[in-house]
Amino acid sequence: MAILRSTYGTKRLAVVLFALLLAALFLLPSQSQGVLQFLGGPLGQVLSVPLEAFSSLDRGMTEIWDGYVALRGIREENRQLRKELEFVQGQNNQLREAAVATQRLEAILDFKQKSIPDMVAAQVIGRDATNWYRGIILNKGEQDGVHAEMGVVTPAGVVGRVVKATSSSSVVLLMTDPNNAIAALVQGTRDEGIVEGTRNGRARMKYIPLLSTVHPGDRVITSGLTGLFPRGLAIGVMTHIEKEEGDLFRSAELEPEVDMTKLDEVLVIRSPYEDSDASKKMIQGMPGEKKKP
Amino acid sequence: MKIWIYIALILTVIPLQTTLLHHVTILDVRPDLGLVVVCLVGFFGGELDGLLIGFILGWSQDLMSAGELWVNVVSKGGAGFVAGLAGRHLAHITPMVLLIGLGAISCLSSLIFVYSMKTSDWDLMWHAFHSKVLIQAVLDAFIGAGAYWLFARRWAPDPFLQQDRL
Repeated sequence: MAILRSTYGTKRLAVVLFALLLAALFLLPSQSQGVLQFLGGPLGQVLSVPLEAFSSLDRGMTEIWDGYVALRGIREENRQLRKELEFVQGQNNQLREAAVATQRLEAILDFKQKSIPDMVAAQVIGRDATNWYRGIILNKGEQDGVHAEMGVVTPAGVVGRVVKATSSSSVVLLMTDPNNAIAALVQGTRDEGIVEGTRNGRARMKYIPLLSTVHPGDRVITSGLTGLFPRGLAIGVMTHIEKEEGDLFRSAELEPEVDMTKLDEVLVIRSPYEDSDASKKMIQGMPGEKKKP
Repeated sequence: MKIWIYIALILTVIPLQTTLLHHVTILDVRPDLGLVVVCLVGFFGGELDGLLIGFILGWSQDLMSAGELWVNVVSKGGAGFVAGLAGRHLAHITPMVLLIGLGAISCLSSLIFVYSMKTSDWDLMWHAFHSKVLIQAVLDAFIGAGAYWLFARRWAPDPFLQQDRL
């Protein structure tokens, strides 16, 4: 490949422009990053086309591997899953009963109906482009109403939050990244704290009061205080509780509810608390719900 | 012709990095294909090509990463420029020089990430250095040297200068 025939002046101009960009990035970081993000919109849109194509290729290869090659031990796994299903079905019946009782009590006490968040489904099309962050790339962006600082979940629990969005894609910082923090609550004891990611890809709940009675196995849920997530979404299960000498709080290591290495589809929470009328309609339309005259 | 190669590189490197490369991690670290490509473009195409492709690839990588939107712009642009200078001024690029050079550029590029963490926690910085920076530098150096060897055989800019190279 031949060397680009650029004149000395062109090279000098390019270097001067790059130096000016560097100066702008260091002197006015947020403004210049905002400009780069804005101008990067079309670039992101162009990049999302090959990204989707490569992602389909990746998914196809994974399906072939999972569907044909990695089938060893599937019979044992199937037997275990059937056992678990029986157990969960039993538990589900009990929970239905409890839900009916709760609804009746709520009606008696005239509680406000819990609203359902406004969510949009998105597909995971890639992982963070660097080694420095635990992140995923989604195929939904600003044109689908996805913006930075929106929560991302799966039916199993919390995944993370959107940190960047172009018109057709967005980047999500996973809950297991040390740069992420979520306001949380211990389901059993109602103690509040902050859940942060750790270096080894797990999570840690900090600022648990010293007098708290938490123990390994307790479930941690979102407290709904930050606005990204509604209250009550599963975050993880406590595996180990620590308190170092002189500390004012305890901290606990968590096993996240969601397996971050196997994310295919997620839900982006556009608004954690939707209009209560819409959610009432949704609840009234659910099977088994009696319609009021 | 060259512009089409560059466009193809920009459109394939970032999707490759984000979709397929996580299957081939070593100790949870992936090579930075963007950096390798930028260095090769600098070596073969000169400083200006390295700088411009580094800038665009870095920008694309930053758009697809959770980090701040300047780290890759600066590190890749700088890496392309340095690789271009090295490609023009080094008469004999031996395998060892190439490995050390690419490793050093990768280390410097990663250290910009460590700087962007804005932390004064030495324990965290040391952890980042030995668990990510060094491993990525080794991966980048070997992949880059392999790719350079392939390209230098096929598109040697000056056969007289290339005869003693890799």
